[in-house]
Amino acid sequence: MRIIKLKKDNLFPFLEVISEEADLWAPVKKGDKHVFKVVDDFSQIEMNSTRTILPPRKIFLPPTFDMFSVSEEGYKEDFSHITKKILFGIHPCDIHGLLILDNFYKQAYLDPYYLEARKNTLILGLSCWPDEYCFAKSTNTHIIEEGFDLFFTYLKDFFLVWIGSSQGDDLVRLKPELFDEKLTDKDIQTYLNWQAERDKAYKWDLNFTAMPDLMELKYGDPLWEKLGDTCLACGSCTNVCPTCGCYNIMDKQFLGGKDGKIMRHWDACTLEEYSEVAGGENFRKKRSDRLKLWYTHKLQAFISKYGKPSCVGCGRCIVACPVDINVRTVGKALLGEEEDAFWIRLNKEVTK
Amino acid sequence: MNSQNKQLTGVNPFVPQPARIVRTYYLTEDVKFFQVRIVDMEKALSFEYLPGQFAMISVLGAGEAPFCLSSTPSRPGLLEFCIRKAGAVTSALFRMKENDLIGLRGPYGNGFPIERMHNKDILIIVGGLGVAPLRSVLLYCLDNRDQFRRVFLLHGAKRPAEMIFREEFLALKEREDLECHLTVDDDDTGTWTEKIGVVTTLFPLLEEIDPANTFGLVCGPPVMYKFVIKELVNLNIPKDQILMTLERRMKCGVGKCGHCAIDYIYTCLDGPVFTYWDVIHMRELI
Amino acid sequence: MEKGSKEKLKIGIYELTGCAGDALLILDCEKELIDMFKAADIQSFLMAKSDNIDGELDVALVEGSVSTEREKEELLDIRKRAKTVVAIGICACFGGIQAAFLDKKDWEKNFKKVYGDKKMTHTKPLQSKPIDAYIKVDYYLPGCPIGKEQFLSTFNRILRGHPPELYRFSVCVECKWNENDCLLNKGIPCLGPITRAGCGSICINHNLPCVGCWGPVEEANLTSEFHLLREKGFDYDFIKKKMANFSGTGMADFLGELKGEKK
Repeated sequence: MRIIKLKKDNLFPFLEVISEEADLWAPVKKGDKHVFKVVDDFSQIEMNSTRTILPPRKIFLPPTFDMFSVSEEGYKEDFSHITKKILFGIHPCDIHGLLILDNFYKQAYLDPYYLEARKNTLILGLSCWPDEYCFAKSTNTHIIEEGFDLFFTYLKDFFLVWIGSSQGDDLVRLKPELFDEKLTDKDIQTYLNWQAERDKAYKWDLNFTAMPDLMELKYGDPLWEKLGDTCLACGSCTNVCPTCGCYNIMDKQFLGGKDGKIMRHWDACTLEEYSEVAGGENFRKKRSDRLKLWYTHKLQAFISKYGKPSCVGCGRCIVACPVDINVRTVGKALLGEEEDAFWIRLNKEVTK
Repeated sequence: MNSQNKQLTGVNPFVPQPARIVRTYYLTEDVKFFQVRIVDMEKALSFEYLPGQFAMISVLGAGEAPFCLSSTPSRPGLLEFCIRKAGAVTSALFRMKENDLIGLRGPYGNGFPIERMHNKDILIIVGGLGVAPLRSVLLYCLDNRDQFRRVFLLHGAKRPAEMIFREEFLALKEREDLECHLTVDDDDTGTWTEKIGVVTTLFPLLEEIDPANTFGLVCGPPVMYKFVIKELVNLNIPKDQILMTLERRMKCGVGKCGHCAIDYIYTCLDGPVFTYWDVIHMRELI
Repeated sequence: MEKGSKEKLKIGIYELTGCAGDALLILDCEKELIDMFKAADIQSFLMAKSDNIDGELDVALVEGSVSTEREKEELLDIRKRAKTVVAIGICACFGGIQAAFLDKKDWEKNFKKVYGDKKMTHTKPLQSKPIDAYIKVDYYLPGCPIGKEQFLSTFNRILRGHPPELYRFSVCVECKWNENDCLLNKGIPCLGPITRAGCGSICINHNLPCVGCWGPVEEANLTSEFHLLREKGFDYDFIKKKMANFSGTGMADFLGELKGEKK
């Protein structure tokens, strides 16, 4: 893969040029967190952001959107939410998340809503520095070799830029004079030093290799009931997860002969209604059963099927869950390592 | 975006086909029969399916839901469903009349492994609405009678009035190439001429079973599986020749919405027909 | 009249004790109002029209809680006349603020504090309760007030003979969709996890914690929420009062247990 160099001061001029015909989405501040948003003023871009509250999949499949407008004449596909976009500042773990979704939305039947949006979005990755929640090194998603058009590694006063696709190359060629084709030995050494430091910066890890077996062996463990007792069934872990994709459909009809809409919205397997069929039978009435499904998917199922977990180590569930049920505490509990977590404290409180 | 819209039309797996209700009538108090034809002739004829597969049926404004095909692909053109009134979509369907339009897409799911079942004995055990998918495979076997060896039907219902396709099955008793046993838990009419008792009480009527060459097909209410499977295992039918079709919530039918997930499989893609072996190693199945 | 008007569903919209906010919201559907009156035969709607008829109804939408003997009789009469009854708004669904006093003695004490020994002549006051304390309710459309989108969708579905299709999950889901930072995680007492969605997480979008005004979500984990708030440093009475504020009757069993008054 071709790697070139971009001076730090040349980034905004480059973004300026490439965003002329597409919306530029990038991480910006929201309170003390970050979110992906369309930016016009590049100074708002958070170059050192950690995870955004919602993962980048919201850009491809928004929380709610209309799939069809419907009239007596039939169904009309609605792709109006799909526009040309450039997504700048997406971190390696989130690109891995997209690669997992790509796989999912392409298997058996193609999902045109996801794939069209994906086709219309260029991915400009950006390196990041782990905070206390990140564990992408455990999932091996701190390194990215595919799934982007350009990837920027931020090295103090310049970027190393990986060109990952011919569209990425086209972007560079819009303003080639901003880039430097030649890398010096010093540049390479700077990068290697940065990488070594970054790898050391991960503050904790989880043994994912052990997870599939543990999920199987501890399927009946009382742990799950404890988790179920505490879980608020708020759906936050699922909503913030970069590799969750479940959705529900709502049929919206309007008065006065206006066209109806078929609306698609994010769903979550941790919600009560998720497995309920018409007539009221619910195959996963218990919160513990729903959590088991979620963790089976994150820690076990994908490993059996694709050889890697569908967790990318972004740490969003750790930040989001108000009662500390997340890949970290559950993973550690499966390994038999006691962590401090609200659900453990609550259990002690209630049994006391 | 317009050019892309055009390119996508026709490959969007979520677009239903308009279909017309040709016939509909009550089978029991809360189960109705629907005979449906896809309006577009070409699409109607190219709708190729296997017994055990399902379709998504939609009623504008009410929603969309999955239903097993009850007709057999050996009688193409018309699609048949037997549907119990349970939620918004089925209630809306129940109010519809002949000639009304519905939306339909499919067929989805794996269906029964017909090729594996060739030249084998087929033992079909039905409880209640489980008849929906199993009628399809039964009629298929009867229409292709030379492809299968003995065919058995054990059918149980609570009361005679609740036996779905009662007349159709009573008529099948006349056939010499089908061993058909019908039972009700309780005969409140006093006119029932067949057996009385739960469906498992019919098992002693099965003579000289060749378990290694028998497929046991089960569908019925959840409580039935445990007891029926026990009988089939006692008969020494191999676990991967005991087949069952399962119900799950589905919003897409094409492995995207996630609701029918069990472990890492999707009922709509890898099911709804599962073997007893699948059930043993995927704990959430039943 | 146009053809087919005979087939229009007869609808009545009624208000019991409450702020009339739900009826007002229906009136506020300005763009859709004409279509609504065209699509249905609205027989009674006190806030909107004067020629109201109290006859047989297909659907009655009832707002407000029952707090007098007269309202109770009116409600029983509505139930008799209507094929389908829909409770609209938090007061009809869960009692609302006026039903916050769950204990009869507390309510009596408060009543006395407000009205003293004044004799009630026109009707007998009752401890305020949601309408399902007296009648069978077919559908619930919660909200404070009800949301425009959910109301129109429900109205439309009922006209077509379909049951309402509402969000059955908690405010947290919509809150995440709106990409808000979790207030609970910042130590702010938010009732999002136990409150049903449909409001679009409007308070949290403006950095204000959820007060639970849409009533408890079906599967509300009150124990977990309660202990979580305790751990965040809020005291027992504060949490209890907060939870009971809008929908005490919806979690009466739990709040009773907390008080040591197991039902």
